[in-house]
Amino acid sequence: MSVALILLFLAVAVYLVAVLESWAAGGRLRLEAPIMAAVALLGRESVLPRKPDRLFFEAGPILLLVAALLAVAVIPLAPGLIVTDLATGALFLNAVLAYVLVALIMAGWGPNGAYGMIGGWRFLGQFIAYSMLIVMPITAVAMRAESLTTTEIVMSQTELWNIAYQPLGFVLFMIAGMGLTFLPPFDLPNAAGDLAGGVEAEYSGARLAVFRLGRMVLIVAVAGATVTFYLGGWLGPVLPPWAWSAVKILAVAAAMLLVGRYMPRVREAQYLALSWKLGVPLALANIFLVGVIALVVPI
Amino acid sequence: MTMLGAREGTLSGLRKLVAAAMARDLRVFVLPGPEIARAHRLDLSAAGLQMVASPRHASVLLVVGDMPPTLLTAATVVYAQMMRPRALFVLGDGKTGALPPADVRAPLSPEGLVAGVVQLRDAFAKGAFRTATSDFDAPALGTRIEYVCPMHPEVVRDEPGDCPKCGMTLMPREASSQRHGAGHGDHVGHEGHGTQDGQTAGDDHDGHGQHGDHGSHHEHDDDGGAATPGAAAEDYTCSMHPEVSRPGPGKCPKCGMTLVPRSELAEGAEHGGHGGHAGKHTAHPADRHDASTAAEDYTCSMHPEVSRPEPGKCPKCGMTLVPRSELAEGAEHGGHGQHGGHAGKHAAHPADRHDASAAAEDYTCSMHPEVSQPGPGKCPKCGMTLVPRSELAEGAEHGGHGQHGGHAAHGHGAQGNGGGQGSSGHGAHGGDHGGSGTDHGSMDHAGMGFMSMVEVTKDLPRSGDGLPMEWIDAPFGPFFPGLPGGLSLNLTLDGDTIARAEAAAMSDPADLLPSGSMTPDAFAARLSGLVPLAPMSYALLARRAIEAAAGIEMPDGAARSRIVALERERIASHLNWLALFAHQNGLEDLAVRAASLQLAVAWADVAAIEERGPALRALCDRVRRVPLLRARLSGVGRLADADDLRGPVSRASGGTADGRSDDPASVALGFAPVSTGGGDALARLRQRIDEIGQSLALIAAAGSTAAPAPVETGAVSGQGTAIVETPRGAATLQVTLEVGKVTAAKISTPSVRHLALVPALCDQQELGDAMVAIGSLDLCPWEARL
Repeated sequence: MSVALILLFLAVAVYLVAVLESWAAGGRLRLEAPIMAAVALLGRESVLPRKPDRLFFEAGPILLLVAALLAVAVIPLAPGLIVTDLATGALFLNAVLAYVLVALIMAGWGPNGAYGMIGGWRFLGQFIAYSMLIVMPITAVAMRAESLTTTEIVMSQTELWNIAYQPLGFVLFMIAGMGLTFLPPFDLPNAAGDLAGGVEAEYSGARLAVFRLGRMVLIVAVAGATVTFYLGGWLGPVLPPWAWSAVKILAVAAAMLLVGRYMPRVREAQYLALSWKLGVPLALANIFLVGVIALVVPI
Repeated sequence: MTMLGAREGTLSGLRKLVAAAMARDLRVFVLPGPEIARAHRLDLSAAGLQMVASPRHASVLLVVGDMPPTLLTAATVVYAQMMRPRALFVLGDGKTGALPPADVRAPLSPEGLVAGVVQLRDAFAKGAFRTATSDFDAPALGTRIEYVCPMHPEVVRDEPGDCPKCGMTLMPREASSQRHGAGHGDHVGHEGHGTQDGQTAGDDHDGHGQHGDHGSHHEHDDDGGAATPGAAAEDYTCSMHPEVSRPGPGKCPKCGMTLVPRSELAEGAEHGGHGGHAGKHTAHPADRHDASTAAEDYTCSMHPEVSRPEPGKCPKCGMTLVPRSELAEGAEHGGHGQHGGHAGKHAAHPADRHDASAAAEDYTCSMHPEVSQPGPGKCPKCGMTLVPRSELAEGAEHGGHGQHGGHAAHGHGAQGNGGGQGSSGHGAHGGDHGGSGTDHGSMDHAGMGFMSMVEVTKDLPRSGDGLPMEWIDAPFGPFFPGLPGGLSLNLTLDGDTIARAEAAAMSDPADLLPSGSMTPDAFAARLSGLVPLAPMSYALLARRAIEAAAGIEMPDGAARSRIVALERERIASHLNWLALFAHQNGLEDLAVRAASLQLAVAWADVAAIEERGPALRALCDRVRRVPLLRARLSGVGRLADADDLRGPVSRASGGTADGRSDDPASVALGFAPVSTGGGDALARLRQRIDEIGQSLALIAAAGSTAAPAPVETGAVSGQGTAIVETPRGAATLQVTLEVGKVTAAKISTPSVRHLALVPALCDQQELGDAMVAIGSLDLCPWEARL
């Protein structure tokens, strides 16, 4: 039952995120746009490019979708409303999100085209930049909760949300999360302007629909993880818990989608340099600070 | 309403809904480019068209205005890459060349666009699916299958059969484009789409990438397309029309080509294996029997299939390569002539290494092939357990693609595309042989773990960073979303660093005076029509040159209204550039704002421009304050001011040359050149932003838009030269008038000079940086036609 509810929730969230994205892309808010786009995509041909690595080509989009769905499985929407409340939820999330890299490299390699392949390898570089900044802030979150269970992590924020408790971690996690979801300004693997769509360039029809759906679910999953780790999950006054989850997840997703419109695409070398020279030390400092606070202040 | 690009199927039930959704969701790929559409005052997103980055994602191909023949050829490839259902939407009455007839044609005007979109929606709703569809073919897509003997490459037949020399079954392969004759030599066809061509573009010989449309039909996937997987053994099909199916051999009813067994076709087309194999086998005769090539050919005494153009180590066992001629001599002396491999092995030792002799007892390290000892043990270098060298060699061969290595290295042009996925080994030779795209070669080798990366990559070309990688050739343009339409880049990429760049604008020169002599008005109209990105400036250039030739002085009022027109075009052109540049850099908010202001200003009168003044200044301020913009742009594409720079590019490098400084009317209005230092992409952006403000001030000072009365030149003769500071820099025109008619004209444009800077600007830059550097030049490929 709760799985069905969560899937329904996910479907609505993905739809709303898609509306937001089409708004961000086209400048007009059209509620029917994602449905039209999806139906049109499904009705269009989907061909194999010449001499593809067929396995990778077919598996890439599906793996992206599966990885994103698995990530959703450990995100609690309300007390008891979670697919599986793993004891190692935070770690599981981390592990699953690593497959996004695999999916993108497969999708980039599979079509045997230059743009896709460069896009895939660009994402490998991007992974090196963002990955530590996903893991290390989660470490600090788990330290405070003294648990890797996502529901415990939400409950640990009853007194004070982590966004206030460890703002540094929140900022780092958000930036890394946008890198993970390859949203602008981190859209290096599928940049339209300098790579003609990159990883997506060779996909069409139903396969492209799966890829885009996977991306949407991934955005919802990462927004959900941000809400769980930093924004107190379902906690909040007046509204029922699931509504709080919904509002927060959509707000985070909207922020992730819109902020990139106002910034130029990052340069890969600078992104790597900043992540390691600045991001990682800051994340370490965050872990240290949270450790000290957790020892000294009883919240 | 019938749509030529309909998808096969009956329009009923569910498909009606799908067609209705498609009619509501029009994704458009714009030719020659969105900047041309904006220059023609078309607001695509307001008309309900969403622009996409790849033709694969588009349902509508929009052609705006006239395109020169090379672009039309490239357009056929773009069209072929689009998924069905697809529509061709032409604005204006331009020719469409080898493209199919337009599904919707409308006048080139904002109203025409809106009316055309209504028709397009109707076309999709009613005609997206049809029971009978027609294939699209164009010369640029042409290819054909020929049959070649695996052992005798000189045996090439148009039909399947047996080799007359050895009786072996001929193998199908795609004919190289050169063999094709007319129409195919032109490789521009590759470019526009770039995408699936990337892998083949490296290989000049093959025309495969051009195959868009057929590819899509051959390789229909499971969604109920035309290809029916039949009983492969008896099923004959056409290599061009896979929907054709006959129980026996014969001719294709559609194109008359000889039918081939479907199984062969499938192998050839999808696995790419045969191409590669054919190449492999044909390599042997050349190597083994032809002494003339042996001289430069280095091979391994253990692995005769290895072949390198220069000395080095064997990628399989690490032994030093020896000239094949030596080896062959040795083989002959040894009396083992027939036994290729063995002969080579034994013959090797006098010439080379004695320790290789007893292959059976020779133990080596899988990481350090130079280690060799007679019995098992540990490697003195890394401590790994030594393995028999013979095992190592076998391992390498079984390791998947190893055995293809040497052959592919010969790069047997026409079918070198075997590199698609099967044969590796290209990797090691990437640079020498064109790299044949993204073949998955050297990665496979590396994965085997039997040899060090140093060994595997030592023959690869090195770039400035010293990191050896496969080089791939990738076309960007002429319809690349982040570049001005018509600009073609051929980049050789070393990873994501550019090892080599070639830039070309439209390669078909336009005749300024097609009929020998023209009236002044017709000449001005022709010149302005040839440069859609700056029509006003070039019309003005023609007028001024003609007036200089006729010795006419312009009255002050007319000169001022000309300044208004020129400066207005400068603002519009810079905004148009800004929209493209912002889009290239992912600054979508800025791109939208710049595009809408461009549309508002480009045809406005002075009052309307002044009304937009605050919005323009706000946009300029916004550009200066974009977060992270400095980090993105500073230091990219740095140019020192030199003679070959023009216009804003020159002034962004600290130059002060500006054609307006010599124009007394401009100076009287308070014009003084502005100049930004720095010379990088950021400086060029700021320079253009500053010039927008400067042009606003000039327009305000001029204050009049009374259209200048047409000047009668009369039946005079003479010669005159004029310089106009176009938005991209000073253009010079020299005309000769004879009895009131223009009979000769000579023009020099700024973009031609800037285009020549591109290769140096890209060299050793990261791909994204190079694109930004090129984008910041504001090239106008149309000027290259003049």
